[in-house]
Amino acid sequence: MGSILDPLYYAVSWVMVTFHTLLGYVFGEDSNESIKWSLSIIGLVIVIRIILIPLFVKQIKSQRALTALQPHMKEIQKKYKDDRQKQSEEMMKLYKEHKTNPLASCFPILAQAPIFFALFTVLNGIARDVPHGVLKGDLLISAQDARFFGANLSNTFLSSDSNTQTKLVTVLLIIFMSATTFITQRQLMVKGMPKMDSSNNMMLQQQKIMLYVFPVIFAVTGVNFPVGVLIYWSTTNLWTFGQQFYVIKRNPTPGSPAYEELAKKRELKDKNSGLPTTDEPGTTMVDPAIEQPRQRQQPSKKKKKKK
Amino acid sequence: MRKIFALLIKFYQSWISPAFAPRCKYYPSCSTYASDAVSEYGAKGLAMALWRLVRCNPWSHGGVDYVLTKGTKTPIKTATTSMNGRI
Repeated sequence: MGSILDPLYYAVSWVMVTFHTLLGYVFGEDSNESIKWSLSIIGLVIVIRIILIPLFVKQIKSQRALTALQPHMKEIQKKYKDDRQKQSEEMMKLYKEHKTNPLASCFPILAQAPIFFALFTVLNGIARDVPHGVLKGDLLISAQDARFFGANLSNTFLSSDSNTQTKLVTVLLIIFMSATTFITQRQLMVKGMPKMDSSNNMMLQQQKIMLYVFPVIFAVTGVNFPVGVLIYWSTTNLWTFGQQFYVIKRNPTPGSPAYEELAKKRELKDKNSGLPTTDEPGTTMVDPAIEQPRQRQQPSKKKKKKK
Repeated sequence: MRKIFALLIKFYQSWISPAFAPRCKYYPSCSTYASDAVSEYGAKGLAMALWRLVRCNPWSHGGVDYVLTKGTKTPIKTATTSMNGRI
């Protein structure tokens, strides 16, 4: 088979088998194989996404650095009001000059594709009784019986031996994938991005595509994917959503609606914590306690940045 | 071959990319660059496009980077350049 991807097959199968073994210690000797194998796929997602966290943090940091560039950005927007192309060109120049580019970059998504493909091959190998990497022998036999809510991990919607249960589970997973993609992107569009990036026209097109086109694409590709790959995909989507939710709430991009919301909230909090001094002494006693953890958090965040 | 490639990119730009947040660090975006590069240089353009994708990584600062024409080495400014920050 593909010799270039061999190391990836080893990596993917090794992570899965390691999780399977570790979960065996946790759940006991004769624990449920299905649960262990399903969780080992989720474990694979967790490992990959944890590896990717530093990249994400880097992106957030450069997004925060944008605050300093805001006056320049507004100037550019004003200057090239009618020329969106020139506007984005100047914006990219500005980012480069200041060595802070808030955009995530294209390569990481492409880099994930081989991992996805490797998982696909490893799971297909289970169905066809072909060992890949360290997933062989007894492990292969036990993985062949593993089910996720009654659906065989290596079965697809279209495979001849898939039962009604498998079909139901794949359909539900495809719906889940579409829904999480939609919610994640919508949240980012509505709350997470600086307002200048979203002209109405673009927003409408985006939502149309997310509502109609994506479920179709997921459905067409999803029926060919083994249940295990769908679990991987769904978990990744869920992780992305969680990560984004956290950032939008706690660390929003300067200039985005979420940023303004947080600023308002903080202002309100400051006002509230300032006011009660004239009220009962009891409330003033509480206030420093509320204030303190917030003040402690901020320097610790800055320290991390400097490292 | 070049036409098929251009169509694929066109499809990507109008039906797939808009559903995701902008992420490209360069202007024009990697997909527009790829389309320009392949139509100007063919197979060599494909290699250029791949190299651009590799350059569009978390450690790069991005910037403005056009495909240059074969003869006069002037930047190709495609009219249909996609929106800010798309792949």
